[in-house]
Amino acid sequence: MTWTVIALLALGVVTQRLLGMFVGAAVLERIPALARLASLIPAAVVAAVIVQLTVASGKSLVVDERFAGMVTAGVLVWRRAPFVVVIVGAAATTALLRL
Amino acid sequence: MTRRPGWTDLAGLTFTFFALGVTVNVLVLERIGSETKTVVAALAINSATSELAYLAVRDAGGTIIASLIAGWIVASRFGLLAVSLGSRMSAGRLHRVAAATQAFDPNVTLAVQQRDRREVTRVFWIVTAAMHAGWYTGTFTGVFLGNVIGDTQRLGLDTVFPAALLAIIGNLLRRRPGAVAALLGGGLCVVLIPVAPAGVPIIVSLVGAFVALTVPEPGATT
Repeated sequence: MTWTVIALLALGVVTQRLLGMFVGAAVLERIPALARLASLIPAAVVAAVIVQLTVASGKSLVVDERFAGMVTAGVLVWRRAPFVVVIVGAAATTALLRL
Repeated sequence: MTRRPGWTDLAGLTFTFFALGVTVNVLVLERIGSETKTVVAALAINSATSELAYLAVRDAGGTIIASLIAGWIVASRFGLLAVSLGSRMSAGRLHRVAAATQAFDPNVTLAVQQRDRREVTRVFWIVTAAMHAGWYTGTFTGVFLGNVIGDTQRLGLDTVFPAALLAIIGNLLRRRPGAVAALLGGGLCVVLIPVAPAGVPIIVSLVGAFVALTVPEPGATT
């Protein structure tokens, strides 16, 4: 990774964030029918990120120790466990299965 | 996680980003071999997934252009999250620029769940501070002490971040529109991972949010 690549990646990422804040958000604010998207976008996008981090290995789908850890996390979230308990429970399940 | 994060929630977020900073930067350092570049990349690019996507495509024999495009596409979710944040926060132009550069999954998701616009801004920055405390210390620990910690996957640290994200969207999942958005977004991602280029499944997950717009909020008048 060269310095130029680091600069180009940084530029691309920050540009998208600024476009979202100044262009996308303005559109959302002007169209009342889309106002509820403000809380629905994070739900959809974050769920996709969770899936990616849980079952993706490159372009393959795999069910491994990460999935077991996330099942534990799911149960703990459903039972309204404290945040710290959720992340420690998930990591501990994954770590134990990798012993 | 509660809608308004308390001190233990914030400490948990700091730990989550510490774990993320360690795991990501150990991997990045292994591939690019320079401590200085690893630290600068972590701080300047401000997107771990973007760095990893770039390196993954390069490792698979991709050109620099193809790798850059992969890095940019996976970071597009931050643009989408900035749309969400920008439509809910009340702030001046410079304040918005600063907030946009710090739009991540946890801080935006928790901020937009607040009812009052001032609370949106307050929660956003409190959560951002907790995240960065962990990310910066985790980055330096991963780069300079990674060999002392050993195999971070053995410790299950790669599950900490997705588990934290699940806890953060927990409240949204308890309401029908949020659950529909998440199930569709996640489901589309599963279907597309094997066939679509890196990052595209996450962009397409946005369809879930639009479909969920048609689901009425319980108790809402239509």
